[in-house]
Amino acid sequence: MTFLRLALLLVLFFGSSLNAEPLITKKLEERALKKYGPFAKNRFVAIDKKLLKKLQNVSEIKKLNTINTWVNYIHYASDRSVYGVSDYWATLYEFVGKNKGDCEDYTIAKYYILKELGIDPHKMKFAYVIYKSRRGKKISHMVLAYFKVPRPKTKDDILILGNNNRLVLPASKRPDLVKLVKMINGDTGPKSKKWKKLETNMKRKKL
Amino acid sequence: MTLFKQMALAISLIIIFILASVLVINYQSAKSDMIEALYENSVNNISSLQNKLSLTQGEQADIISTIDSEFDSGYYRLIEYRTADNSFSYKQEDKDPIEGVPQWFVKFTDIHIDPITADVNDGWTLLGKVTIIADPSSIYKGLYKNFIKLLYLFLLTVTIALVVVAIMLHFILKPLKRIQHQAEAILRNEFVIDNEEPYTTEFKEVSHAMNAMVKKVEEIFNKANEAARRNNELLYNDPVTKLFNRRYLILKLPELLELETKIEGGSILLIALNGAEHINEKLGRKDGDIFFFEFANILREFTQNIEDRLLARVNGTEFTLVLPDCESFMAQHLARKLFEGFEELLEQKELDPELITLNIGIFRYRPQSSVSEALTKADDALTKAKADTQQHIYIYEQKSNTPALPKEKWREILVESIEKEYFELRFWPILDMTTKEIKHKAMTFIINDNKGQNIPYGDFIGPAITLGLVSKIYLVALKKLLRKQHKEIASSIISIRLSNEFLKDAHAFEALNRLLKEHAKKLSCRLSFEVADNFAISNTPTVKGYVDLFRKFGFGFGINNFSGACGDYSYLKELNPDFIKADVSFLLDQTAESMHTLELVIKSLGIEIIASFVKTEEELQKLQKLKIDKIQGPITEKLL
Repeated sequence: MTFLRLALLLVLFFGSSLNAEPLITKKLEERALKKYGPFAKNRFVAIDKKLLKKLQNVSEIKKLNTINTWVNYIHYASDRSVYGVSDYWATLYEFVGKNKGDCEDYTIAKYYILKELGIDPHKMKFAYVIYKSRRGKKISHMVLAYFKVPRPKTKDDILILGNNNRLVLPASKRPDLVKLVKMINGDTGPKSKKWKKLETNMKRKKL
Repeated sequence: MTLFKQMALAISLIIIFILASVLVINYQSAKSDMIEALYENSVNNISSLQNKLSLTQGEQADIISTIDSEFDSGYYRLIEYRTADNSFSYKQEDKDPIEGVPQWFVKFTDIHIDPITADVNDGWTLLGKVTIIADPSSIYKGLYKNFIKLLYLFLLTVTIALVVVAIMLHFILKPLKRIQHQAEAILRNEFVIDNEEPYTTEFKEVSHAMNAMVKKVEEIFNKANEAARRNNELLYNDPVTKLFNRRYLILKLPELLELETKIEGGSILLIALNGAEHINEKLGRKDGDIFFFEFANILREFTQNIEDRLLARVNGTEFTLVLPDCESFMAQHLARKLFEGFEELLEQKELDPELITLNIGIFRYRPQSSVSEALTKADDALTKAKADTQQHIYIYEQKSNTPALPKEKWREILVESIEKEYFELRFWPILDMTTKEIKHKAMTFIINDNKGQNIPYGDFIGPAITLGLVSKIYLVALKKLLRKQHKEIASSIISIRLSNEFLKDAHAFEALNRLLKEHAKKLSCRLSFEVADNFAISNTPTVKGYVDLFRKFGFGFGINNFSGACGDYSYLKELNPDFIKADVSFLLDQTAESMHTLELVIKSLGIEIIASFVKTEEELQKLQKLKIDKIQGPITEKLL
């Protein structure tokens, strides 16, 4: 019985690993070409070729930096202007395809690419922070927080990947983030309604 | 609708009702429970949100971030914050339709979640109010899942219930099926007794009642049959010799003389005993009767193999033997043998052959002979026989006055008619005097060679029998009837008389079977086949085979030329015809009592009587007194 169960588990495991679709597929590239044009397709090709394939064997810091820089090239735009609603969590594909999005979309895109590059998703948190602009205005904001160690003791142990700063810096070097309101896990934490929806859309590769 | 379908429907309705009730009760309680649970959960959530928002001290970015993070990580339809002075408000709302549940179900369920509002304070100061509406998707999903599960349960229960019912009904209702068969058998005038006792009380009673009824009907038939047989004997039999009597001879003689199958005519033998008084003197009355009975046995014995022969005791000392197909030399040979048999009997009884003599007058008649002519000539011959004390036998031979066509000529005509299908169908109406309608017609056919030569059935059937062509002729005529739609016979019953020669031919049976198989479905009329009474009596198993064939195709069956000669009508019970056709003279010759018993037999079997060869108004009136309403014959032409 135990043996049978083990065999079944193995089959399931291999089955699922074989079936696991890569983040970027040829089909997706073609769909992007149809929907958003050749530039959009090229962006997906770039993610696949320049990022996912080339960064496989570099250090995590290098991965963080490259991805942060690359994603930050995408233009900022509010959800209302892009999707017509006050708040919308776009998939990586919608964000890259449209080539614009808000802080949450940057965070989601970085999270999924880094996860695909093999970074432990438990190390990455979605951080709701208060960002103070140079003019002194406080704005609700989201960044991706990377834990260098499993249980960070100081702000130095946390690297911040935000769209307002092209560098990946420790939280201690980010005085503009005046307050951390909340940190939540990605798809490894408790699944909220928003997360469930995002996961479904990611699986469907919603463009 | 069958009983099973009705019961299945009833059971399905009951199950639907029970499960629908369960569904409604379950749905309502589950719905209120879930809404209650959601409300309690919302109260907990708003309480913690209240605390978090208090910590923002009214800082807008903090409020937004707090609400966003809360909204993103939970299950909310709406979170709204509004400052006490309405100077600032922030709202997160999910307007997407509910997923995972069909829209009709969402509309049907229509869950209304009330918003919950709580104050947000900074110390003693009221900062604003926060309102939340919990997400009801989980309720919809839960209810929908429940609904689907119950639906499956319902389908499963109905299926199992129907299977169980089907099995139960099969066993419980088995006797009912048998009773149904019994009832159907009664409709077909068959007497089937069901010996298996049903288990269910009600069915047991029904089965007993059915059996009793079948037995009673059968009893009625048996009694009527017995009475008919006795009446027949009284009417047509000689009590001593059990031979037919004079009455029967007079009734049947015309028919025998005109027998279509005997084209050459036949012989009548008048057998008279002289000195019969010596027999009674010597033997006494009782043994005298035995002597006559034994003599009758000799007559029976020597003639038993002759087809259509009629043997009657016309008075105390005279016997008549009619042999419809017998040449004079044959008759003479037979007479001689009878004479020898008689002498042996005398010797055996030690009677004096000088005193008691047998004289036989033979008249060899031709087809055109009339009854009176035949009897007179036979009587003449007997007188001459009596005068001839040496031979005691005299033959008077009538010469044929119309030269018959030679055999070969007939063969030519018939073979050509078969090949070219010269047979023309004729339909004779059978009139129902009660309704004045013609729903039944009798078919016959003639040869019409399209060159002006018409040969009636009666003329060619005799030669056809001699040449062995009857079956072929019938098959061609039947093909003509079946292949074409005949307007004049649409939607009526057409009865076809099958000749004895056809019935005897095994190949004809097969050919008829094939023919019917091919055409039976396309017919616009209902076919009915007739078989002659004497043939049906002496060949009951053969005729039964034909009857089964006709019944297979849903065709009717009747007996024609009904003579009542047999006395025992059990062959009617076996063959179960739809009608019998009897010569009007036969019907009118019956006594009131014999007619009554005949009626009883026929009615107990559900058979109709058709009177044939009705010629005069007088006959018609007499028939109507006998309540015989179906008539066939020349009179119908006058009436129509």
